[in-house]
Amino acid sequence: MKNGHAIETKNLTKKFGAFTALDSLNLKIENGAIHGLLGPNGAGKTTAIKILCGLLKPSGGEAHIFGNKVPDRSILPQIGYMPQETALYTELSVHHNLSLYGELYGMSRSAIAQREQELLQFIALEKWRNEPVSNLSGGMKHRVSLACSMIHEPKLLFLDEPTVGVDPELRASFWEYFDKLKATGITIVLTTHYMDEAQHCDKIGLLRQGRLIAGARRRRLRA
Amino acid sequence: MNIRRAFSVTKRIVRGLRNDRRTVGLMFIAPIIAMCVFGLAFSGDVEDVHVVVVNQDEGAQAPGYPITVSIAEKIISNFDKDVLKVDYVDDVDEGVRRVEDGGAYGVIVFPEHFTSDIFSKIQNPTLPGGTTIQVRLDKSNVNVANAVAQAVSDAMLKTIEEQGFEVPISVDAEDAIYGKGAKFMDFFVPGIMAFVVFMLTTLLTLISFVGERTSGNLERLQATPLRESEIVIGYAIAFSIIGMLQTVVLLTIGVLAFNIMIVGNIFLAFLVIALLAIVSLSLGILLSSLAKREAQAIQFFPIIVLPTFLLAGIFWPVEAIPSWLRPLSYAIPPSYAVDATRSVMLRGWGIGGIWVDIVALFGFAVAFLGLAMWSLRRGRA
Repeated sequence: MKNGHAIETKNLTKKFGAFTALDSLNLKIENGAIHGLLGPNGAGKTTAIKILCGLLKPSGGEAHIFGNKVPDRSILPQIGYMPQETALYTELSVHHNLSLYGELYGMSRSAIAQREQELLQFIALEKWRNEPVSNLSGGMKHRVSLACSMIHEPKLLFLDEPTVGVDPELRASFWEYFDKLKATGITIVLTTHYMDEAQHCDKIGLLRQGRLIAGARRRRLRA
Repeated sequence: MNIRRAFSVTKRIVRGLRNDRRTVGLMFIAPIIAMCVFGLAFSGDVEDVHVVVVNQDEGAQAPGYPITVSIAEKIISNFDKDVLKVDYVDDVDEGVRRVEDGGAYGVIVFPEHFTSDIFSKIQNPTLPGGTTIQVRLDKSNVNVANAVAQAVSDAMLKTIEEQGFEVPISVDAEDAIYGKGAKFMDFFVPGIMAFVVFMLTTLLTLISFVGERTSGNLERLQATPLRESEIVIGYAIAFSIIGMLQTVVLLTIGVLAFNIMIVGNIFLAFLVIALLAIVSLSLGILLSSLAKREAQAIQFFPIIVLPTFLLAGIFWPVEAIPSWLRPLSYAIPPSYAVDATRSVMLRGWGIGGIWVDIVALFGFAVAFLGLAMWSLRRGRA
């Protein structure tokens, strides 16, 4: 592991045909903090996260996670990914969604049960454990989606627009979750296009047209 | 490849179905409706059927005429050339062997004294016994068998009319080589079984996979240690089980409601259906990469359903399809499954008889599974 950097990209480039989604992106993300990737739609935030999660191959440059060049399957158990879409099996219960992902990470049944208990408590949906996801409200689905990406206790968590389409109250509680997660030593990388959310991040990077146009360390403001 | 992770995918699909009654309904009600509706309503024209003629008729001189004629020859020349494609062999055993090997659908035998018996009967109608054309058929395809028997008796009636004599010549088609006593449903069930499993598996996987893509689930799965091969294998396990359950339902109804006959090893038929289900779900996954939304996926339906319906040999045998279209029949996997299930259930053939079909289906399965995995991996490019 390179001295404290969870993520490092060098000239990371991604082209889709003639369209350049990422243009020589250079990022350095330290361990153990909340990092915000800020920018308008089409700025390349999602593309960057997908490359880091191994879902897309870069067209140029390289990216490292915990010192390993991506894509690298061996780092997958250490990272969690919450896609922009809710990405849940709506016909399955909350419990079965969580246990599916637990199984895919090779967790034992007892480990899944214990972790599920913790997560349901964390997202305050214990009563909904056996309810099909289709019966849940949008905000609840969002919370389940977050829980699914954390079932295996990842060290690095990618959240792609976790607060889009979420009401202000839930947004506030999401940020409480993120703070609690950070307290456990997890590194969080999230994308957002709400400027006001940037204030919650320890560090922000501003993306525009596939380039990092500004990076700043923010002093955290607490209400 | 981790089989436990593949099983997790399987379990996910099965659990999802428990809460999705509509899809389960489609899986099990649609095949039943299809079978009943088509079974009761459908029957088509048959053409280009290969038959073997064994003409032992020595001919005879007609009373009052010095020339030797053969009534058998006249009947053969009256065969409807659109229906029957005739090959000649010298002895009955060889003809029967031809049918047993699947090279022809029937043997038509004219006995040695065919013409002379007719003439004796004309002169002395009180003579005992009749003159009989023996037709030994492969009734595993009832439509075809009936068409052959029909063509032979039509030719016979036409000849009698031309010659202007009144003699009872009978066509004896009772002694079938395969499928003795088979009815249309006996022949139809194996075909419709393969058809519904192919159609439903392809369409359900297609829709289910478009859903995996649009919901973001596929990306979430691909960010876990789950491999593309495990996703495809997980689907394969789930859908081959579902395919076999559908088969059980259809066979149960076939036996209870339509009293269909099953002479062969039914487990061989299950194997064929499971292989076909694997081919179908791979095709569904492949097509899903071409559809961005579920509505687009629906546009593939006619492409999948129509050729199968017309070309796979469900209603009429592949040999009866115009020769320029026939290569298409051999290019679509259900053709092999229809042929194999029918051969097993009605002819009682074992693996030795259907190995060509099994090899073809296995080849399709391996190729399509590989392509499906490739299409998923390509998403990461």
